Amino acid sequence: MTQRRVPYLILAPGLILLILFLVLPLISTIFPTFFNGGFTFSNYTSFFLDEYNFGIFWRTIKISLIATLICVVLGVPTAYYISQSPKKWRGLLMSITLFPLLTNSVVRSFAWITILGQDGILNNALMNIGLLSKPLTMLYTEFAIVIGSVYLFLPLMVITLVGILENIDSEIMEAAETLGANRLIAFVKVILPLSVPGIIVGSILVFTGSLTAYTTPQLLGGNRNIMLATFLYQNATALGNWQGASVIALIMIVATLIVMKLFSWVAGRMDKRGEASA
Amino acid sequence: MSYVELKDIRVSYDNKANILKDLNLSIEKGELVSLLGPSGCGKTTTLRVIAGLIEPNDGEFLVDTQNLTKVPVHKREFGMVFQSYALFPHLTIKENVAFGLKLRKEKKNSIEKKVKDILAITGLEELGDRYPKQLSGGQRQRVALARALVIEPKLLLLDEPLSNLDAKLRLAMRIEIKRIQRQLGITSVFVTHDQEECFSISDRVAVMNKGVIEQFDTPEEIYNNPKTEFVARFIGFENFFELTPTEEWNYKAIDGTVFHSTRDWEPGKHTGTIRPDDIEITRNSKQTENNMVSGIIKVRTFLGKSYQYEVETPIGKLLANKTDDVVYQVGDEVTLSMPSHKLIIV
Amino acid sequence: MRKNIGLKIFAGLVFAFLLVPLFIIIVTSFGTNSTIQFPIKGFTLDWYSKVFDNEAFMDSFFLSLQVAFFATLLALIIGVPAAYSLARHKVFGRNWIKSFFLSPTIVPGLVVGYAMYQFIVIKFQFPIIQGLFLGHFLICLPYVIRVVGSTIEQLDFSIEEVSWTLGCTKLQAFIKVVLPNITSGIFASFMLAFINSFNNIPVSQFLSGPGVTMLPTSLMNYIEYNYDPSVSALSVILMLGTIVLMYVIEKTLGLASIS
Repeated sequence: MTQRRVPYLILAPGLILLILFLVLPLISTIFPTFFNGGFTFSNYTSFFLDEYNFGIFWRTIKISLIATLICVVLGVPTAYYISQSPKKWRGLLMSITLFPLLTNSVVRSFAWITILGQDGILNNALMNIGLLSKPLTMLYTEFAIVIGSVYLFLPLMVITLVGILENIDSEIMEAAETLGANRLIAFVKVILPLSVPGIIVGSILVFTGSLTAYTTPQLLGGNRNIMLATFLYQNATALGNWQGASVIALIMIVATLIVMKLFSWVAGRMDKRGEASA
Repeated sequence: MSYVELKDIRVSYDNKANILKDLNLSIEKGELVSLLGPSGCGKTTTLRVIAGLIEPNDGEFLVDTQNLTKVPVHKREFGMVFQSYALFPHLTIKENVAFGLKLRKEKKNSIEKKVKDILAITGLEELGDRYPKQLSGGQRQRVALARALVIEPKLLLLDEPLSNLDAKLRLAMRIEIKRIQRQLGITSVFVTHDQEECFSISDRVAVMNKGVIEQFDTPEEIYNNPKTEFVARFIGFENFFELTPTEEWNYKAIDGTVFHSTRDWEPGKHTGTIRPDDIEITRNSKQTENNMVSGIIKVRTFLGKSYQYEVETPIGKLLANKTDDVVYQVGDEVTLSMPSHKLIIV
Repeated sequence: MRKNIGLKIFAGLVFAFLLVPLFIIIVTSFGTNSTIQFPIKGFTLDWYSKVFDNEAFMDSFFLSLQVAFFATLLALIIGVPAAYSLARHKVFGRNWIKSFFLSPTIVPGLVVGYAMYQFIVIKFQFPIIQGLFLGHFLICLPYVIRVVGSTIEQLDFSIEEVSWTLGCTKLQAFIKVVLPNITSGIFASFMLAFINSFNNIPVSQFLSGPGVTMLPTSLMNYIEYNYDPSVSALSVILMLGTIVLMYVIEKTLGLASIS
């Protein structure tokens, strides 16, 4: 009898702390958004019906989607390259990928401020070689947020994919080649389909990361390109609209969950290797 | 000129140590040739050079008088069966087999027919719509074979294809491979480290060691007449002893015993060798005749169908197997005689 | 022997994309001009001494270290036994409990901080520092559960059974046999949790007040009003920290273990 209770006693402290400091705070913050006299969804319907609010929501989705796509396009070949490199190089290449990931995201966004700014490195360089006559506005645009997000999350995508690609038997690629596929065709027909699970996991990380990112839009987006996270912060602090902030909080949580479920569902549909159904 | 020609092939990964050095090999049309040797001998490298997965540093590779040395792997049109089978896990068996045909842009019904035919030949008709994960090891092996064969390759390459199967299945599959190879008359190169497997399946065998071919002959010839000490050791000659040539067909061991051989050996060879099975054991006769040495039994091992004795003799330790009812004890003095037609000089 | 130039160039450009921005920061930290320039004019280390003279930076740096360290420590104390229990014991609703332990990763960091601030600081009047500590504990816990959990699952269960047959109690077996064999997992999860806590911004964003500001937040606030190379200098110092940590991880566990 006492033996059976042991696991629950071990798990209890963690569960209690999680309930006290995660679940209860979330409930107490979000619960009131459903009440306005009686139970209502009006806070949420009015959020999405408001053009300005919906614009922010749509911008967040759009930027996250674009950043995810770019991460896939840049990440898959890079990860394949790393996974095919000799052992001694692979460690170095992985370090190059990991280094930005472990560097503070403020530092990483700051780097792009210095590059994309009005008087930044890119503008100066382009003007010096005569491609531009006056500086382009690149900082504080959606473009800057996309670049910043890709920079933030590309390492995550690459590392996830390397894990998957390393486990693909190298003889499979060779088998495709002996059957008459050149490198590119073999990559598209064999390696790409097999890396779908990795692409999905990586995409979930990048998409939900961009969706809820605070630092990047705050530093690179400026006041005109607000995203959900910065909007939440603005509501809670500058505008003192706690209700509004809590509504955004739930929207971010739900959006994250939907994205994860959706992507996993897609992964399930595309990964038809039929392990279970013999 | 043979159908397949490897000429002075050299492969080196760092330009210091050679994996293959000046390797020459000729294979006739329709032949099944095995590359046999211990791991690291270069047999897989040779196969990969043929496949085009490794580009040799020097040398030429020709098939049907065409020089293919620089032709990339996907244009060579050879079928290859990999050790791991390398089936595409995301494709069904049919799709796996059709992969090469689709790349050749063949017509849809032609692909369907060819896939159906090859699945029939390899006994996979029922499994076409399954995925590789759902198949047993032997079935995957057949798929790998079907996929390689369906493109009607000029050459079939098999890289230790049976090493992942259990003993019983291995036996069945090697008969199967031989049957299909004969039926389709396809020139094949088979890599293995298993001597028995290799002898049973091959028309000719190239025994390799440290990047060179030590001997290239029919299985019978290699079994009976190994040309070098390495080949002899590899195929089960466990007794080796120093000899000095005296007169024609006669040799003298270090204790003075005269060994007579029934054959003429290349000059310069001076190591006698014989299989443990070919040595005859008798109680010590104290006689000193040609081809006989006496010694004391040091170790006796039961092998099932026979006993193996390790005998200390003046010319060295010798192993002899004996099936007779007479069982000797450790410490017994015995005489070993080596029939002159079984004695090999390498 | 068989190369693919196109792929090589593509990967090279991606690596350049990853490294060049950080390289630019390093260079700009040495410029003499009072705003950031590239290429730089002159060479100076003044911006580094400016960083060390900046009390706000130094205070928040030590606060970040402390919060990250103690939050990780608490996560280990609570998480390691929990991970063990989830891996080895028959627990009702095991997968649900495990997902629950990992749930702080699903809730966006800013929301965690926001809810914590509302509930703990506003409603129950806890000091901000306690909310900060608990918030960081929440983001550390999933790393411990995941990394230590998978280490325990890979550990041969029979070595525990052997220790029982030799007379160990369950607790003794855990301490004498299990713990020594999962040190690498514990260390890896410590490193991961510590780095993520130290670098985290969203959770701390709401949970800051007078004298209670974490280093990344402090740096972010500074950037909003200043554009001088001391930001670069501080960034370089943080990167050096990252390099030291990566070196330590590589030497002890191998970087592969945390990626």
